[in-house]
Amino acid sequence: MTRPAVALLVSAVFFVPLYLVLANVFKQGDLIAKDPAALPLPPTLANVHAVLTRPDGLFWVSLTNSVVVTLSSILVLTVLSAMLGHYLARSGKRWTKVLTLVLLAGLMIPPQVILIPITDVLRVTHLMATLPGLILFNVGYYVPFGVFVFSGFIRGVPVELEEAARLDGASRLQVFWRVVFPLLRPATASVLIFLGVWIWNDFIDPLIILGPSQGTTITTGIYRSIGQYQADLGSVFALMFLATLPVLIFYLALQKQFVKGLTGGATKG
Amino acid sequence: MAVTRKPVLPRVGHFASFGAPGVLVYLCFVLAPILISFGYSLTNYNPFDPPVRFTGLANYRLLFSDEQFLTALRITTILTLIVVIVPNVLGLGVALLLDRKGWLYNALRSVFFTPVILSSVVVSIIWSRLLDDEGPLNTLLRALGVEHPPGWLSDPDLALYSVASIVCWQLLGFCVVVYLAGLQGVPAELLEAAEIDGAGPLRRFRAVTWPLLAPSLTITTVVLLISAFKTYDYVKVITNGGPGSGATATIAFDVLQTGFDANHVGYASAMAVLMLVIVAVVTSVVLNFLRRREVDL
Repeated sequence: MTRPAVALLVSAVFFVPLYLVLANVFKQGDLIAKDPAALPLPPTLANVHAVLTRPDGLFWVSLTNSVVVTLSSILVLTVLSAMLGHYLARSGKRWTKVLTLVLLAGLMIPPQVILIPITDVLRVTHLMATLPGLILFNVGYYVPFGVFVFSGFIRGVPVELEEAARLDGASRLQVFWRVVFPLLRPATASVLIFLGVWIWNDFIDPLIILGPSQGTTITTGIYRSIGQYQADLGSVFALMFLATLPVLIFYLALQKQFVKGLTGGATKG
Repeated sequence: MAVTRKPVLPRVGHFASFGAPGVLVYLCFVLAPILISFGYSLTNYNPFDPPVRFTGLANYRLLFSDEQFLTALRITTILTLIVVIVPNVLGLGVALLLDRKGWLYNALRSVFFTPVILSSVVVSIIWSRLLDDEGPLNTLLRALGVEHPPGWLSDPDLALYSVASIVCWQLLGFCVVVYLAGLQGVPAELLEAAEIDGAGPLRRFRAVTWPLLAPSLTITTVVLLISAFKTYDYVKVITNGGPGSGATATIAFDVLQTGFDANHVGYASAMAVLMLVIVAVVTSVVLNFLRRREVDL
């Protein structure tokens, strides 16, 4: 059959842009402009080295900011949305249906709609241009996604389990964290992976909330370095490569979970 | 059971401890800002040009005669149509092609999925290098004898389609993965039965596979739709709204440009509110239609 050949050909065409980055990360600066498509021969680590040792520390500062923002956001998001998801799944009150709808509507709100007033809210609370401000925004904006994943999953956990633990004298919080939460591992993995990648890659929110001068995450750092260092393409490619490396490792390590989380809804139907 | 359940899971305090923190952040950072946006949209608010006056629906009326906004609306519509249709069609095609076991197909799946985990900023920079007037693609075209290769990103008539293609490239892998998962849910017995009944590959696809992929189509379409409406990063990084006067300026781009760069906060808010209404209406209509299609199976 010709299937493997066709599959290879289609994938190769699709892969060309990715090849362009990989080849140019390890190529001498002047060769990138002259012959961007050529193989990096001989390969060099000069670009990577230049980014890592920049005098202004752009890479390390933005890496630290991205790590702090991403980790804090996804940890808080997991806790808040797991508990809110539990409330929505377990409380039989009529208004929880309304609340669920209001939260699900949040899944489709474009950030542009709320960014202008957000800057005012953050300015009033003195959180504008700070990392906590960005983290709080992330938590609010992505809580619907977390709730969506968790509440669906919690409905599959038998309520008798919780009742039994309650009868044994555990408090509601103890029951949730000791009995229910450990059972939610697949949902937790989806939430951590998706939100981790989205928040790490986010551009517009850190650009506006952290402001033009105050702070830089890894994506806004890349964006600014193309403006400032137009000529030094090697550094731009190396910066993009280094910024993607953590996500790539994260993805490769959790590939199975990743795809399962992505397609959970599709196959359930 | 009903008697014991109440004391076991009493509701008092349940919301306060479990629901309230999440709802509170959502309220402060999503719901309240939407209301504030609506409030701003009824004024001439501009932080550098006080005083603020209530102007009623004037901003909204102005929008419908604003050539720039109508262009942004048209651009967003074209972009959305392309981004919803192309990755769906190509994604299904690639999924059918890769729907085989073996290391080769596994490896190729990863190739298609990689762009999904890249930042849109990274994708934008890669492609703006690739499609530059003097970039690798045009160099190749010149070598092949094309004397005046197109200005992919510098020609106002072409730039929008180039940007749309880039968005499609990034989202294609997402569709491939969702369709591959959907294909795994198609029972082999059903396909075999159809084959025994004499159905050819096309007939088998149309009568068996495609209807069973309905849930996959719902997911990809809604996700693509929402991503397309939000398109900002690519436009900002690749063309900054140009070339020329806003050849690629989407509504999402226009809102922030008007609100933050031109400081017409009131007017930008009206645009944002209208954008939200359009997203909500279109998404629920499409979702409803696709859901009904699933049920009809």
